[in-house]
Amino acid sequence: MEQATSEAYPYVIEMLHITKEFPGIKANDDITLQLKRGEIHALLGENGAGKSTLMSVLFGLYQPEQGEIRKDGKVVEIKDPNDATALNIGMVHQHFKLVEVFTVLDNIILGAEDTKLGFLQKKQARKKVSELSEKYGLRINMDAKVEDITVGMQQRVEILKMLYRDNDILIFDEPTAVLTPQEIEELMQIMRNLKAEGKSILFISHKLNEIMEVSDRVTVLRKGKYVGTVDTASTNKEELSRMMVGRPVQLVVEKDEAQPKETILKIEGLTVPSKIHKNDAVKNVSLEVHAGEIVCIAGIDGNGQTEFVHALTGLEKPSAGKITLCGKDITKASIRKRALTGMSHIPEDRHKHGLVLDFTLEQNMVLQRYFEPQFQNHGFIKFDAVREYADKLIEEFDVRSGQGPVTKARSMSGGNQQKAIVAREFDRNMPLIVAVQPTRGLDVGAIEYIHSQLVKQRDEGKAVLLVSLELEEVMNLSDRILVMYEGEIVGELDPKQTTTQELGLYMAGAKRQDKEGKAE
Amino acid sequence: MKKSGNLLSKDGTRSVLATLISILIGLVAGAVIILIVGLCDSKLGLTEAWKGIRLIFFGLLSKGQQAGRLIFGFNSTNIGDMLFRAVPIIMTGLSVSLAYKTGLFNIGASGQYLAGTTASLFIALKMNTAVVSPWIVWILAFLGGILAGAFWGSIPGMLKAFLNINEVLACIMTNWLAANIVTWLFEGSGLQCTEGTKTQVIWKTSHNGVATAKMGLDKIFPDSQQIDGGIIIAIIIAILVYILLSKTTLGFELKACGSNRHSAKYAGIRDKRCIILSMALAGALAGAGASLYWLSGTTEFHWQTYLSLPGEGFTGIAVALLGACHPIANIFTGMFMSTLNVAGSKLSFFTGYNEYITDVIIAVIVYLSAFSLLIKTWLGKRAKKAEEKKIPDVVYTSKNMPEGAKPPVSENTGKEGNEQ
Repeated sequence: MEQATSEAYPYVIEMLHITKEFPGIKANDDITLQLKRGEIHALLGENGAGKSTLMSVLFGLYQPEQGEIRKDGKVVEIKDPNDATALNIGMVHQHFKLVEVFTVLDNIILGAEDTKLGFLQKKQARKKVSELSEKYGLRINMDAKVEDITVGMQQRVEILKMLYRDNDILIFDEPTAVLTPQEIEELMQIMRNLKAEGKSILFISHKLNEIMEVSDRVTVLRKGKYVGTVDTASTNKEELSRMMVGRPVQLVVEKDEAQPKETILKIEGLTVPSKIHKNDAVKNVSLEVHAGEIVCIAGIDGNGQTEFVHALTGLEKPSAGKITLCGKDITKASIRKRALTGMSHIPEDRHKHGLVLDFTLEQNMVLQRYFEPQFQNHGFIKFDAVREYADKLIEEFDVRSGQGPVTKARSMSGGNQQKAIVAREFDRNMPLIVAVQPTRGLDVGAIEYIHSQLVKQRDEGKAVLLVSLELEEVMNLSDRILVMYEGEIVGELDPKQTTTQELGLYMAGAKRQDKEGKAE
Repeated sequence: MKKSGNLLSKDGTRSVLATLISILIGLVAGAVIILIVGLCDSKLGLTEAWKGIRLIFFGLLSKGQQAGRLIFGFNSTNIGDMLFRAVPIIMTGLSVSLAYKTGLFNIGASGQYLAGTTASLFIALKMNTAVVSPWIVWILAFLGGILAGAFWGSIPGMLKAFLNINEVLACIMTNWLAANIVTWLFEGSGLQCTEGTKTQVIWKTSHNGVATAKMGLDKIFPDSQQIDGGIIIAIIIAILVYILLSKTTLGFELKACGSNRHSAKYAGIRDKRCIILSMALAGALAGAGASLYWLSGTTEFHWQTYLSLPGEGFTGIAVALLGACHPIANIFTGMFMSTLNVAGSKLSFFTGYNEYITDVIIAVIVYLSAFSLLIKTWLGKRAKKAEEKKIPDVVYTSKNMPEGAKPPVSENTGKEGNEQ
């Protein structure tokens, strides 16, 4: 009976005029989102636009100050995630919520176990899970431990968790951030299957390609405000990015042909031991980077890139190999020596390495050069010179902050923190720039800026070694691609002659080149 | 209104106010305890309680009593003694502050203090002042105390730098090591004071003619037996620590390393050296405090330390925390603590109260000083509210929000939004 009435109503979930304030901030300001039954609805916005807050409101983690939520046209109150579950709303979080040492099956039934006299009844559960996994094409190994399976499979486990609880409204929070191209393709197919079975999906993302490919409608948020809802079929990437950022955005980096010159960095047979495993994290890696080119090390996270960069920049000691920078052997040199010899380093983790978060912006700006005569006199810091220099960089690189040079780095937004690091490292004007995931977690506008800056540095004759996990970035920015898989360089590719699919095969270890550069 | 808003919005003002509020609450709590104890104890009663409360607040100015009435006024004995007793705790306070500012918790000031004590006393008493002039012996003893403290402090520093052992644990170990080693060293040293009934006490350094110069302070406080130039040296050292931490590249390195060891390392700062150096400097300060106290020539060291650690090390933690670990503030918080100490002795002298009641007050204040951050945040919010009233349409973004109201910034570009 109830089924019949609700079928007639087109919207399965409506969030009407939601306003959610945090002290001093309106994270959501009068936002309306209507999810149709059986559609894939994308929620698009930059970091900080209010997407996650809105979803947390729907999932009962926050209570909105204003507005109402309706399910099948009836007003409902969602006070906590249990209420959301009772309404058949399920969510795959960006960071999976799985118990690593439990098996896949245990994780799926956790919290919804069938018991008899206090004993677990896994047989029925196993049957239900295997039916579900067959129905939607979710390949899993029910008896493997979560810590042993791939990220892609972990995500499928999360999806099965929702399906096992008979959820029919599924929220995916940035699901593709951690996946390889092949896994992304598979996820898209799974989402289509789910839709075909009548599930309604909310898909949070800031990646336009995926949204264009899989969604039916898109709702765009900007700075906590509702911008609009459009049919995917009647829009394009340019329009969406304009809605998201508020101005036209250059999606593809404009750059000329690279003009590689002399060798700046030469690495021979670099091997780095792993801290966790017995195996080496980096195995016998040799490469060269020339002035005036961007060389990109592509690969899935955890294939030795971090250790490789640490060994290159001096944060870790290699067990074998030789590093030559600007003709000088720096294999055993200290970190400072390397930096002064000619290396700028934009680190992977801006909070762990890049900034002293409790220092002010100006202190962070001179973190690499406070000891230079320009900034100190007999061990006493020249505060005026530091301030002047910081002001110059802030102006030049458009670093925005609350109180200018005396802002605590911690209180700045991620994009501006990254800009501060980029400013500091570029201004040191070193022949080699090591940039590790320089656009991680940034929004389209900031990415555009940092990409154009990297190209500018290249054109000024710098050698740029880029380490990236983002395929689009790899394809757009680099002049040469080196693929790293399990600590080895398994292929060198020309971005103009390869496809993301081929790159994905190398990244997943399915394909590799021999020494002559031929595919095996 | 406008002025208070502006004042409150300054970080330093808020720190000072927070400290003063902590102290006031601590004193009031002490007064309440005195009142309760007084009312419960038939020997004390309300009059004694009223005396006690006045002594807690104004003990420093007590001039004794006449016909059962307390007299207050300028008392050079009290103030001179207060300044003298402030010296070691200002120094241990500086020790804790310097470590804290550079990211380490130095709970080992007691052990470093003992190391400094031992070295100073041995040098001051064993060197022949007939051959070497006493003031050179004094300087050597002072430097010896500093070096011994630095050495003792650097042990937990090295353990942390090379083996990643938590400095708090290592400090507790080195404290008790020091306590036992000191007893063992003095037992066979032949320095025992032979006078009268005293046992396990060694000579005053003045026995060997070594004593801290008075530097004219005995003219200002003529009745104080103890006052000497130690307080001036302590103040100079506090200023030097302040300059080191806030004006020099070395201070920059130490603070960077203390705040984020990884990013300091990334920036080419030798993190291990910084950690060891921080602890060594902290130890040197505690050791210097011990030297200044024992080289005064008026103090006798009771060397059986293996059962209890010197209180100066732990009072130093209170001095540092109460002063928000600011070296200059430590001078004042150290003096305040020693004022309470003087008040305590007056309390037991003039009333039926036990002087240890001041320890209760100190304990309350230390607890509150841990809360002083909270009080500071609260003051900050008040300041913000005041400003909001002035400009009602101001929008606080993640950038200009005051501390405390702000969500943790992680991978968040949130220019005007707040995703969590």
